[in-house]
Amino acid sequence: MKDTHMQNPKISAKNVQVYYGDNHAIKDVNVEIADKTVTAFIGPSGCGKSTFLRCLNRMNDTIDICRVTGEIKIDDEDIYDAKVDPVQLRAKVGMVFQKPNPFPKSIYDNVAYGPKIHGLARNKAELDEIVEQSLRKAALWNEAKDRLDSPGTGLSGGQQQRLCIARAIATSPEVLLMDEPCSALDPIATAQVEELIDELRQSFSVVIVTHSMQQAARVSQKTAFFHLGNLVEYDDTDKIFTNPEDPRTESYISGRIG
Amino acid sequence: MTQKSLLTVDARTKKRNAAEKRFKAYGFAAISVAMLALVTLLTSVIGTGASAFKQTYATVTMQLPEDVLDKSGVRDIDVMKKVTTVGYTKILNQGLTDTVAALNIPHDLSNKDIGGMLSKEAAATIRDHVLANPELIGQEVTLDLLMNGRIDGYFKGRVTMESAALDSNTSPAELALAQALADAGVVNTKFNWAFLTNPDASDQRPEAAGLGVAILGSLYMMIIVLAISLPIGVAASIYLEEFAPKNRWTDLIEVNISNLAAVPSIVYGILGLAIFINFLEFKQSSPLVGGLVLSLMTLPRIIIPARAALKSVPPSIRDAALGVGASKMQSVFHHVLPLAAPGILTGVIIGLGQALGETAPLLLIGMVAFVREYPAAYTPDAGLFGEASTALPVQIYNWTQRADPGFVERASGAIITLLIFLLIMNAVAIFLRRKFERRW
Amino acid sequence: MAQHISSAYDRDLEAIQTLVVKMGGMVENAIMSAVTSLETRDMELAEKVRAGDKLIDALELQINEEAARVIALRAPVSKDLRSILTVLRITASLERIGDYAKNIAKRTATLADMPQISGSDAALRRMAREVQTMLKDLLDAYLRGDAELAENVRQHDQDVDQMYNALFREYLTFMMEDPRNITACMHLHFMAKNVERMGDLVTNMAEQLIYQITGELPDEARPKGDKTAYMTKL
Repeated sequence: MKDTHMQNPKISAKNVQVYYGDNHAIKDVNVEIADKTVTAFIGPSGCGKSTFLRCLNRMNDTIDICRVTGEIKIDDEDIYDAKVDPVQLRAKVGMVFQKPNPFPKSIYDNVAYGPKIHGLARNKAELDEIVEQSLRKAALWNEAKDRLDSPGTGLSGGQQQRLCIARAIATSPEVLLMDEPCSALDPIATAQVEELIDELRQSFSVVIVTHSMQQAARVSQKTAFFHLGNLVEYDDTDKIFTNPEDPRTESYISGRIG
Repeated sequence: MTQKSLLTVDARTKKRNAAEKRFKAYGFAAISVAMLALVTLLTSVIGTGASAFKQTYATVTMQLPEDVLDKSGVRDIDVMKKVTTVGYTKILNQGLTDTVAALNIPHDLSNKDIGGMLSKEAAATIRDHVLANPELIGQEVTLDLLMNGRIDGYFKGRVTMESAALDSNTSPAELALAQALADAGVVNTKFNWAFLTNPDASDQRPEAAGLGVAILGSLYMMIIVLAISLPIGVAASIYLEEFAPKNRWTDLIEVNISNLAAVPSIVYGILGLAIFINFLEFKQSSPLVGGLVLSLMTLPRIIIPARAALKSVPPSIRDAALGVGASKMQSVFHHVLPLAAPGILTGVIIGLGQALGETAPLLLIGMVAFVREYPAAYTPDAGLFGEASTALPVQIYNWTQRADPGFVERASGAIITLLIFLLIMNAVAIFLRRKFERRW
Repeated sequence: MAQHISSAYDRDLEAIQTLVVKMGGMVENAIMSAVTSLETRDMELAEKVRAGDKLIDALELQINEEAARVIALRAPVSKDLRSILTVLRITASLERIGDYAKNIAKRTATLADMPQISGSDAALRRMAREVQTMLKDLLDAYLRGDAELAENVRQHDQDVDQMYNALFREYLTFMMEDPRNITACMHLHFMAKNVERMGDLVTNMAEQLIYQITGELPDEARPKGDKTAYMTKL
């Protein structure tokens, strides 16, 4: 791993350990994630990449037996500080999940929910504006503008995932976390979402966990390889895929066991 | 291994198919037996009870002489009240006799006998009517009056000429006269709304007995059950499912709630007796105590399906809500609860339906008594729902204990009424469930 | 290196490797046969070399197709990607070497009618033998993944270049001695140039192999011994 530190990392994690009960799931992870970049976390099943991702917006708080130690800073503020309210954090750090999970409400209500509970709009007109902007950014506006009141669950899989992305960006987050967002989608929907991610990185810092190495290679600028809870290698994506340093990385990306 | 053709069925498959066919047949037989039992029950109940919804009345014109009813001429209600039903009975007898004479129906019965064909309730009816409308004194008035239980039974087929001959309360001559009056149009059998509105009547007057008090009592109790067990039950299930820490204490509570749902209802009656009546000194036999006891009983029966409904909401919805920045409370109340609402609602209505039909605990707290007045919802000295009352299932129990065969019909009629209410509640539950069912 | 989880992937890569080694062997033979046929004035052998080149070309085509298939189906990364790219380059170079051998064989027929020039054939043969050894070592290095051996091969080109310089001067001398030798010497010179080019191509292959093994092309400029471009006089 190159030992160069970034100038102003958006997220910086130091000595992060995560325990599920007695199980030491994440071991001593140090990583700096840049702003306005897409960073991919790759690794075999159970290596801890999703767990680490969920640390970044404190979703692990909802699991009783999960304990997180170490320092995770976003914009130089420790998010595990006692003064930080996870609810406020999650308005700043949005999340998109593996299986599209729109609320069983209308498309409009889906996108408007976040801004409403965080009080981001003063009146209906502003709320409408936020909803439209989010749907446009998620490349869903043209398909949805005539059916804003129809249920979100009535869309196709790819559209639902884009709705979830619109919902996540409606609160104007600065970081977008995506946990295998395309694994439930067909190739065309996947390509559309990847294109979307490429556009989104101009405004946000995106961290994406993926099982597909080709996707990590296509979509990210930096890649981190996790293995058995350790961060094995973290570098520019093209370096990882043409000439990685660690033999474990090499084995994983070429599909070699042992 | 030699290749077997797909077109021939091998022995194993044949055996398996036969076993499955047998299983299906057993299932079908079981359902048939159940249906048979149901049909038998319904036939029996409806057969005996349907007639409770018809009642025989006589249209009687009678004079209201002032000298009998209000000698003073002042029309003072308190004075007029001194005239008891005995006085009015004579007027009735006269009125009916005159009607019979006017129709030229041959008979050899005395006035008293003719008057006896009317229910003993009839005198009270006319008395109440006069006291409510004192200006009618001195005039002629025409009223529909109840006929007595035996005459009513005759028109319903329960009483025949043969049984009348052996009966001390009636005679074949009376039946013949009644028939003649019916042919003349004076006596007719019509739909019996009074069955649902009248209060209970004494042993001798099955024809006047009604479910009014019982329905009111059950209604009050259902209101109390709804008001208490719905909020507490739903809140408890939300707490247990969403907020309670997963430790031994919570497990203990869960086990206890499951056990409580299985406790025999009479135990709740004993509990109610000991705490509400003896210790807290609430009024015995009041809908308040009945409602409280039933609430206690219904609570676990609401908590358990409510928890199941909450559990069935997929965690992806909660994650989605949290991910957007909702607090735990917001995610539960904005997202989980609306999705669990159909299940919770169904649980509540079914719980209420069960509470409606419970008898044993109510017996213990004293709702067996004969209650004649409609209980008021609130009175200053008895408090909220404090007046003595009875309930539908208890009323049924009561009537089955009485000697007069007219009460058999009444009891069956009450059973039909209870079943109809339960059917309506379940239908509402199914409708609401369908309406609010969502896909996620 | 551990095996791929997908054994078919390993089989594909091994199959390509076998084809490359086979092609290399055929090219080795072609080189030596071409030069021998010149020495012994064996027309049949020369003819065989010319016919054999078709097989070499066919093999290159086959290897290209196999490589394209692996790229399309397996999306190779890192080491696997480098090895596929190397295979494509190596076979292109091998095919060029084969063409040079064919060229030599062609000129043998022409030279058959001319008087032999003493000593020249043997020198040419020695040079060809050097190149053949280089090629053999390279194929060994390819099979074993031996970067050191590849580096040796790379350095060896110096000797070949020296030999070419010497031959160049020799032919000039012959041509100056007796103008009747000019035609023959011209042909011989082209043959020598071909062999020298073969040496350069083997060196290219060696560099490519080093890239496959280490991930980086050797960046020090290789020693170029061919000074004939700058020769003004003997």
